Parts: sequence; structure tokens; C-alpha cells
Amino acid sequence: MKRSRTVALRGGRRRATRWRRAIALSCAAALPAFAQGDAPPGVSDEAVNFGQSAAFSGPSQALGTAMRLGIEVAFKEANAAGGVHGRQLSLHSLDDAYEPEAAIANTRNLLQEERVFALIGAVGTPTSRAAVPVAREAGVPYVAPFTGAAFLREAAAWPNVVNLRASYDQETEEMVARLIADRGVKRIAVVYQDDSFGRAGYAGAVAALARRDMVPVAVGVYPRNTTAVKTALLDVRRGNPGAVILIGAYGPVSALIAWARHLGFNPVFITISFVGSNALAQALGPAGAGVFVTQVVPFPGGSQPAVVAEYAKALRLYAPEAAPGFVSLEGYLAGRMAATGLRRCGRDLNRECFLAALRDAQAIDLGGFGLRFGDDNQGSDAVFLTMIGADGRYVPVATLPPPGLVR
Amino acid sequence: MPSLLQRVLRSRFRIATQLYAALAGAVGITLLASLVAWYSFDQVGDVQERVNKRTVPELAASFGIAQRSGALVAAAPRLAAAATLEDLDRVRVSLTAERSAFQAHLGALLARGGSHNEEASRRGSALIANIDAIDASMAERFTLLARTTALRQELDTLRNHLSGMLVPAIDDQWFFTMTGFRSLDAPPAPRAEHLSEMEFDRYRLLAGLRADAGLGAQILASAFNLSDAPLLEPLRDRFQATSESIERRLSGLGDAPGAERMAAAFERLQTMGLGAEGGFALRAQELAIADRQRALLAENRELAVNLLVEVEGLVSDAQGSAGRDTRASAEAIATGRNLLLVLNAVGIVGAGLVAWLFIGRVLLRRIDKLSHRMVAMADGDLEAEVDITGRDEVADMAAALEVFRRHALEVQRLNLVEKLAEELKSKNGQLEDALDELRHAQDQIVAREKLAALGELTAGVAHEIKNPLNFVKNFAEASEELLEELNETITEVREAIEEEQRGLIEEICQDLTENLGRIRGHGDRADRIVQDMLKMGRGAADRQLTDINQLVEQNVRLAFHAVRAADSDFALDIQQDFDPEMGEVEVVPQDVGRVFLNMVTNACHAVDERRKAEEASGASYTPTLNVVTKRRADHVEVRIRDNGSGIPQDVIDKIFNPFFTTKPTDQGTGLGLALSSDIVREHGGEIRVESEAGAFTEMIVDLPLATAPTAAEGSDADDTETPA
Repeated sequence: MKRSRTVALRGGRRRATRWRRAIALSCAAALPAFAQGDAPPGVSDEAVNFGQSAAFSGPSQALGTAMRLGIEVAFKEANAAGGVHGRQLSLHSLDDAYEPEAAIANTRNLLQEERVFALIGAVGTPTSRAAVPVAREAGVPYVAPFTGAAFLREAAAWPNVVNLRASYDQETEEMVARLIADRGVKRIAVVYQDDSFGRAGYAGAVAALARRDMVPVAVGVYPRNTTAVKTALLDVRRGNPGAVILIGAYGPVSALIAWARHLGFNPVFITISFVGSNALAQALGPAGAGVFVTQVVPFPGGSQPAVVAEYAKALRLYAPEAAPGFVSLEGYLAGRMAATGLRRCGRDLNRECFLAALRDAQAIDLGGFGLRFGDDNQGSDAVFLTMIGADGRYVPVATLPPPGLVR
Repeated sequence: MPSLLQRVLRSRFRIATQLYAALAGAVGITLLASLVAWYSFDQVGDVQERVNKRTVPELAASFGIAQRSGALVAAAPRLAAAATLEDLDRVRVSLTAERSAFQAHLGALLARGGSHNEEASRRGSALIANIDAIDASMAERFTLLARTTALRQELDTLRNHLSGMLVPAIDDQWFFTMTGFRSLDAPPAPRAEHLSEMEFDRYRLLAGLRADAGLGAQILASAFNLSDAPLLEPLRDRFQATSESIERRLSGLGDAPGAERMAAAFERLQTMGLGAEGGFALRAQELAIADRQRALLAENRELAVNLLVEVEGLVSDAQGSAGRDTRASAEAIATGRNLLLVLNAVGIVGAGLVAWLFIGRVLLRRIDKLSHRMVAMADGDLEAEVDITGRDEVADMAAALEVFRRHALEVQRLNLVEKLAEELKSKNGQLEDALDELRHAQDQIVAREKLAALGELTAGVAHEIKNPLNFVKNFAEASEELLEELNETITEVREAIEEEQRGLIEEICQDLTENLGRIRGHGDRADRIVQDMLKMGRGAADRQLTDINQLVEQNVRLAFHAVRAADSDFALDIQQDFDPEMGEVEVVPQDVGRVFLNMVTNACHAVDERRKAEEASGASYTPTLNVVTKRRADHVEVRIRDNGSGIPQDVIDKIFNPFFTTKPTDQGTGLGLALSSDIVREHGGEIRVESEAGAFTEMIVDLPLATAPTAAEGSDADDTETPA
């Protein structure tokens, strides 16, 4: 992992000393409010250090890896252009294997040992739920977590959180809306992972259904970090649904869809962005055709908006071996958003200023991908619909096509 | 008077004998006090040394034992509570230090003997032995702890492993039971097979196993955390029951998929719980050791309490002897203190007496008196005598002061006499001056009177002579006219007169004409003399402010031209040096002008006379006249100097007398300088003469600026001749 650990050499001894005193005080009090003083932790004259705790092992490792890739590509692109106000951006990533306890340990490590300026690109709802209070306690920005959980959208409760993506509620709302409007589906079932992520998606789906005076016709649950989904499959099949909303990671979701196809149970399967779209398509193979995935970023294989082309170019330049993907695009957008925040803050950087630059922004245009914070802490409300085609590749769709067209 | 004070201070130190005596007394008292203090300190020191050598070490050892035993008793639980080997080592190191210090104190105590000491030593040894026992048990305990920790970690892994096997197995079993599918690439089993009682039973057994696995792991984990030994047995019993249940379920599972793997894992779980090295056995041993340590610690505490009792006995013994020593010391201090108090009182009274009797009454009072006398003398009182008696330096000073007073008195008198003599001398001088002035004035008055009388006489004579003289002149002139008529008549009758007679007549006429000329000439001269004489007695003219420089210059020129008119050969080099500051002086200008005219005319005649003499001898000579005016502080000065024939010294005193002249009788009246002298004197001035015969004559006229308003009578004179 590239790690830029630069010490303020040119900034002078005095500044460094003050810096260290601030650290000592923070450590002693274990309650460092928003850092005071000249240079906050992780910022030197030459560099700004970001930290990331995400899954780089286990069933969700594809998410963490792609997210890291996207952020790094964005940072490299910014650094190649001279950095932000002369400072090079760097990312220090630690593996939490999608386990909340590890996420807490990593976050503490990043704040106290690595002394990062901000946390970026965390993956997962339960991990974020565990880590974000630690970050809030330390007054450290928590930027663009890869989760759409509703609790992180409570702007007042989390003054340090800046979300990039649309929420799970918005994704499930889109799913329900599309299923009913485009396919006329009346019976909708929900399968979710028995953790905070799954419950968040489930709650969103139930709420979306309730707005239409509906309830899930069947509900299936599976234990997190396992692929023991067959009981859940049987449970939802019993409801005879026209569509199944899947709130889970790509491993169990692909297993469930595979078994469903095997059983000849073929409702409309629609899953959520967190699933890890590319990994899902890969795991499903031919069985994936016709599975819908809601996305919170534009289709990475396209050319619109401009930021997608920029992303593709940066990817070719800095990670030529990597294929474009939704998660790494989200990571790229997260990196771009962080760089924008730093830029708007000016040379005189601190955490409050960085947070304010993003959260108070009326409009940030990341190459055509518009962010608008205004009264919430979420930049984008956009939900994009994609479908796995017969060839196992994703295609962007505006509406759910009729079943005949899928195969 | 600071110098007096210093002298007083100095003289106080010089009152040698008396002061030395007083000081010697003070030193004696001080020495005595020091001896008493020294004796007292010595006594206290002896007692102190006794305390230091015997009581303090005993007390120190006792306190050391009390302190160290406390530390040891406190350290023992820390030993028992050490969580890691590092902790244990740290505690051991500090314990070893404490123990060796403790043993050292014990050894020291034992060497002193005594029943308390032996008892304390015995209990101390027991304490150390107990701690050693605890220390030894700790090694065993740590071995057990290491094993327990390993077991706990394995239990966590095993639980996850079991869960990882059982959750998918249950899921698969249920799916198989419902659908007949085991895997994606296998065809479904016949319905009779997968919907059989056996499959349902398997599902039930698997679910039961999952519950048992959780329960078993839970019980074992509880056992690891248990601290109460009796509660261990019920837990073990429940674990046993769970194990048996698991065995039953496993055997019921038969050859179900994954059953063997599960059986192995469950067997491991059972071994971990109930095996000889299992959790329950280990925990039981650990608790037994802990119990033993607790018992030892309790015993330790009791030993420490007993030890403290013994130490208290020791301490009270030591305190007793220390108390005795302290009392002895206090007595010595009290005695010394009382003696010192008495000596201090004696010293203070003695010092007071010395101060009052000697310094106050004898010394200071007399010095004070002396100082008052000195101040009085300085103020001029030299009359009263200095009467201070005694045989010391103050008396000497008084005697010296008395001598000084007498000398001062003498000097004062001498000064007075000298001053009087001086005054007398100055008065005499003044008198002499006055006398001189008086004489001078007298002379002047006499001369003036003489001159005045002479002037009056001359004027009177002149007046009387003038009338006859007029007759002489008039008849002489008439006679000449008659003689001319006679001559004309004779000429008419010339033919008639014989030759011889004619010659005689002409000769007689010639003689008559010459005689008549002489009569007229001498008559004129007599008239001039009379005119001058009348001027001597003329009246005073008005004074007016006159420019002296101008007056001098006019008259110099007038005189020169007058002489020049008479003798065209006459030449004179006139050098004028006028003071531009001269200004105007109030004089009678006609009179003063006549003075200058007179003087310059005289000078002209003098240089002419010398010229003629020099020409005769063939020498070259330039007649020169120097005229100088000068304004002085209270008068003006006019100097008229010629380089003429000069005035011999024997006539210089006479030149101002009337009718004195050196000229031939037909050339000077002898009144010019007399008249000049009168005029100048009338103005309050004076004429001085400096001259050398054959060289020069200098007339100096001094005129006062403030003129006296006196006017003297003077005689008339027309011209004067310079006395040469």
C-alpha cells in the first residue's frame, strides 16, 4: 500500500513542535475535539494523508479493493496535476474484513498511530456503524462511506460525515417504483442479510412498499458472512413473488440466484448497489442474465457524464490492468470529492474548513456528476438502473425491460 | 560639632586603664558563662551519644522491620496477583530487595539479643518462608494459566469452526429436505428420499447440535471465568450432560454429509472440557492454587500482625531507654540554663554599673563639660577658666585646653596693641600730609599776596607815570614838528648864513632830530611797560566753553607770523599733536590764549637765538616746535616744547617773577610769564617748566576740567620776552 508519511520539514521546527504538543494533548485527553492550531494531524506542507478501513479479505473483499483503487486513481490524478494547493494526497488503507470490531480497531489505529487527516471510502454499514462514532469523537471527517444506510444521513447526529452516494432508501424506492411501474409486479419479496446493512435495505424496501399500501409477500434472512441462503430462498419462494429484492453481498446473493434458477424459480431479481456489481456478475455467470442492480454512480463503461470518461482515462493511466467498475468509479468520485473539498478550503487547511467546504456546498460539479448538499449531508440523490445482459455484462437501462427482452 | 563628637569617641577608647578594667570584668563573666555552657553541652552530648549508639539503632531496626514486614505483606498479594511472567519478575525483583532489607534488620535485631528480638526474628523467618511458598506456587500457576489461555483461544476457533460447519449444513439439509437438491450440478433426489422422516430427523439433530455446540462452548467459557471452586462441579456436570447429548445426536446423524468432520470437532470440544488436560481440570487446579495462596497470604498477615506486636515491644523498650536518656539530657540542659541565666544577670548588672558609675558619671559628664567649654571658647569666651579635675586623659585635655585659652587671650591682647600702633602711624602720616599741604598753601598765599601787592603797586605806579609820560611823548612830537619848521626856515635863509654856521646849524638840527627820535622811542617803550603793568590789575573777564585745541593752534600761528613778520629769515618746524578727545573747557579764552601766545613767542625767540649762534659756528640746525595737547582724568595738559637755547638751572625759579627778563632792556618787559602764571593760577591750574640749557625748553600748562570760580586781579601787559 502506498503510504505517504511526510513530516513538515520545510514548515519549520516551531510548527512541528506545536503539532506534537497538539498530538500529545489529544492522546492524553483521548477526546480531541476539532483540532486547533496551525496544522491538523495528517497535514504537512507537502502532503495530506487520508485513511481507509475496508474489507480487503473475506466475502466482501472485492468492494474494499475496488473502492481503494478508485480513490487512489483519483489521488494520483490530482497529485500529477501538482496536488491540491501544493500538497500531495495519499491514502493509507487497513483491512477490516467487513467485521465491525476490526473496523473500530483500524479506525483507532488510523487516527492515533497513522494520524490521518480524514477517513474516506469505508465499506459497509455495520463497519461504518462501528467506526463512525470513533471518528466523530476525534472530530475526524468521515467521507464517502460505501453504504447507503439511513442512519449516516442524519446530518445533525454526525457532524463529521459527508456522504457521496444516494441512500438505500432511495435505491429501494427506485426498485419498488420501477417494479410496479414497468413490470406491474404485485407480489414483491425481500431477502436480506441479518445485519445492520440488511436491515437498513429491508427497512427501505418495506417503507417503499408501505407507501403503496403493500407489504412484502415473503421475507428471507441469511446469516452474515455465510452463503447459507437456501433456507431464505425456500422462505421467499413460498410467497410466490413476482420480484425479489435482494439486500446482501455478492457471494450469498449470487448463490441464492443460482439456486433459484436451478429450482426454476425465476422472479425478477433486483439487488442493491452494495452487492458489488462486477463481482456479482462474475459469480453468477450465465445465471446472471436479467438480474437488475440499482447503482448510485453512472455506468462506468459509458462516456456520459464527462467524469466517467475522465475516470476511464485515469484508470488507463494509473491502473492499466484494472477494468472499469461501479465500485471503483464510486471510489474515484469519492477521491475527486475529497480533493474538491481540500481545494475549496485553501492552503490554510483544517478539518472544520474541509467539512464545511463540502457540507455547506450548494453545488459541486464533478465533471457532470452533480453533488448538492444543502440541508443534508448527502451529495448525490441519483440512482441508476443497470441490468446484467446475456453476455454477463452490465447495461444501463432507464426502465425495466419486459422479460422477453432479457434473454 | 562632629569633630568634637569624634574626639569624644576617640578619647573614650583612650580611657585605657579604666575601660580595660571594665572589659576584663566582662570577658571574665563571658568566659565563666562559656565554661558552664561547655560543661552543659558536654553532658547533653554524652546522653545524645548514648541515645545514638544504643536506642536509635534499635528504634531504626524496629521501624525497619515494621516497615519492611508491611511492605512484604503488601507485596505478597501482588505476587499472587501477577497476571504475566513479566509482572511476576518485576514483583520478584522488588520483593527480593524488600526481603534482603528485612533480613538485614532481623539480623541486626538478633545480634542485640533479648526475648522480643528472638520472637520477632522467628516470626520474620516464617513470613519469608511463606512468601517463598507463594513464589513457588506462582510458577505452577503460570503454567496452568498458559494452558488455559491456549484452551480459550482454541475454544473460540472451535466454536466458529462448528458454527461454520453447522449453519450451512442446516441450510443445506433443510433445502435438501424441501427440494431434493444437494448441489447445483447434481440431479434432485427422489421425493421419497428427500422428504423422508430420516431427513427431517437429521435436520432436527443438526439444529440440536448447533444449540448444543453453543451451549457447550458457553459452559466451558463460564468455567474459565469462574472464581468460586465449589461452583465448578455443577458446571462440569452440565457440560457432561451437553456432551452426552451431542454424542447422542451425532450417533443419530449417522452417515449424513459432513458428520464425520463434525464428530471430530465435537470430540475435541468434549476433550477440551472433560479431558485430563481439559478446562475443568485446569481450572480446578488453578482455583486450588489460588486457595492455597490465599491461605498463605492470610497466614502472612497474621504473622505480620504478631511481628508488629513484637516490634512494638522492642520499640517501647527503646523508647523507655530513650526517655531516660532524654530526661538526663533535659536535666543537664536545665542546670546549664539556670547557671547561664545567673551569669547573664551578673553580667548585665555589672555592665549597667560600669555604664552608670564610670562611663556616665565619671567620663561622659566631664567630657560634656569640656565640650561646653570648647564651644564657649569657640564663640569667643576666653575669660572663664577650664576647671576639670581628675587624673585621666579628660583632665589632660582640660589642662591642654586651659593652656590653649591663655595663649589665645595673650594673642588677642597683642593684636590689639599692634592695631593701635598701626592706626597712630597712619594718623601721623595724615597729619604730616596736612602740614605739607598747609605749608604749600601758605607759600602759595604768600607768593600770591606778594604778586598781588606787586601788581597793585605796579598798576598804581603805571597810572602815575602815564600822565608825565604822555607829556614827554606829546612834547617830543611837538618838538620834532618845531624842528622841521626850523629846518624849513633855515633853508629859506640859507644863503644868508655863513658856510661855517650853516654846517654847524645843520649839525645841531641833526642831533636834535636824533635826540627827539630817541625820546619818542623810549617814551613808546615806557608806554608799553605801563600798558602791561596796567593789565596786571585788570578786571575778570567771562568764562566760556572753549575748544582748547583750536585756541592753542590759533595762538601758535599768530605768534609764528608775528615773529616771521619781523624777521623774514625766521623759519620754524611746527609739529602739532592734538588729542581728539580734548573737547571744551570752561576758560577765559582771551587770557588763556595770551598764555599760549606768550609761550610760543618766547619759544620762537629762543630758537632764533640758538639759530644765530649755530649759524655763527657753522653748524646745521633746524628750529623745531612741538605742541601737544592731552586730556587727563581731571585736567587738560598742553605741552609747548622748543629745541632752543634752554634755561639755565639757576634762573628757572625766577622766570615767573614780574620784571625778570634776560632780554636786553629794550626788548622785554619781564611781565609775560608773570602774567601767564597769574592767568593759569586764576583758572586753578599750574605751569611747570622742564629745560636744559642749550638743548630744549618745555612749558607744561595744566588746566582743571572743573574750574574754581575764583578770579584774581592781574596787571596789564602787552608782550613778554622769553627769559633765555
